[in-house]
Amino acid sequence: MACRVKHKVQRFLAILVRRGFLVTMLAGSALITAMSVAYFDFETLPPFVVEKLPVRFEALWLASLRIHVAAAALSFPLCLSLMTRMLQRRPVWHRWLGRVTGVVVLFALVPTGTVLAFDAKGGWSVTVGFLLSAAIVAAAIVLGVRAARRRDLTSHARAMRHVVGQMSVAVVSRAMIVGLDTVGFDPDLVYVVALWGPVLASVLVVELVSRRGDFWNRNHVPFVERIHRELTPLALVMRARAVVRPVARPGR
Amino acid sequence: MLVLSFVPSLALADEPSLVEWAEHRIDAGIVKPLAEREGSRFSRSRPPPHERRIRVNEASLSKDRRGRSFVAFAIDVRFGGDWQKDDIVGCVYTGSGDLFVKRGDGYRAAAFLFGKKADPVGGVCTPAPTSTRS
Repeated sequence: MACRVKHKVQRFLAILVRRGFLVTMLAGSALITAMSVAYFDFETLPPFVVEKLPVRFEALWLASLRIHVAAAALSFPLCLSLMTRMLQRRPVWHRWLGRVTGVVVLFALVPTGTVLAFDAKGGWSVTVGFLLSAAIVAAAIVLGVRAARRRDLTSHARAMRHVVGQMSVAVVSRAMIVGLDTVGFDPDLVYVVALWGPVLASVLVVELVSRRGDFWNRNHVPFVERIHRELTPLALVMRARAVVRPVARPGR
Repeated sequence: MLVLSFVPSLALADEPSLVEWAEHRIDAGIVKPLAEREGSRFSRSRPPPHERRIRVNEASLSKDRRGRSFVAFAIDVRFGGDWQKDDIVGCVYTGSGDLFVKRGDGYRAAAFLFGKKADPVGGVCTPAPTSTRS
């Protein structure tokens, strides 16, 4: 009984964290998109661009910035929606939206992000941070698509969590920049910390969540519950293994 | 000397000095508009500084190649405790009040800081070479 309650509480908390994350990221994505509208005013340069110029290849950099912003504004909410149970229960929709998102990420978001990384403020450490994030996204998309094609949904979910994790860096990083500025930290240091921290933390969290998911997918808790249900006084004299695995297996 | 000290100055008492005039012009032309433009942003651009201060580097006028007089200035910023010097460097022309700021290797009209497209202007803010004969 206590085990079942604990399991239900854990499940409730997991759903709460999952939905909280999706809603926060969706709100953050909407805020970033609203702030990024200025990038498409071709008469006036927004503060971020003013701060950056002059760059080596100005036309390429500006075009990359605009494509990157547009691709992110489209692909991040799509990725978040693909993470919802609602779309995951509709395979055809999930597949087609996934294809569109994958193409946008792989052929617009990642290449333009790579171009922008080379002129990132903060020097080589920030450039490497952005390139690492881009590499994780690209690799995870490729691995995720390959996993989906061979119907390995566990690996597919894990890879796509990495994509969403790296995309969430955009929101977390900006929140950190605003928060640490309020405390009065040096903005140059904040910029580096607010990039590397979320990039590495996302990888770690995704791996932890995926391993935890593997554990739950192996149905350990239902097994335990079944043992509780099936444990009759007669079963007490039987070997527990026979209850847990009643299927006959080849001998050693 | 005593007699000279009683001779009234040609400058009026309420006329600002060159440094005061330049500081006022830079404050009105750059510092205040920048502060108005900077709100709280959810972006990767640098957060607005907590404070800005103007330093007019040369009390004396310099002249560029075209013979126009200008005064060089710098604007420092403070985010936490320490001041970061020379965040913006530029010059203000005394006749026109035109403001220029340095970006990369060139000087652009200060309107660039407010998002207006402005290409580098050659020869501004650079003192004309003085011909010295030995």
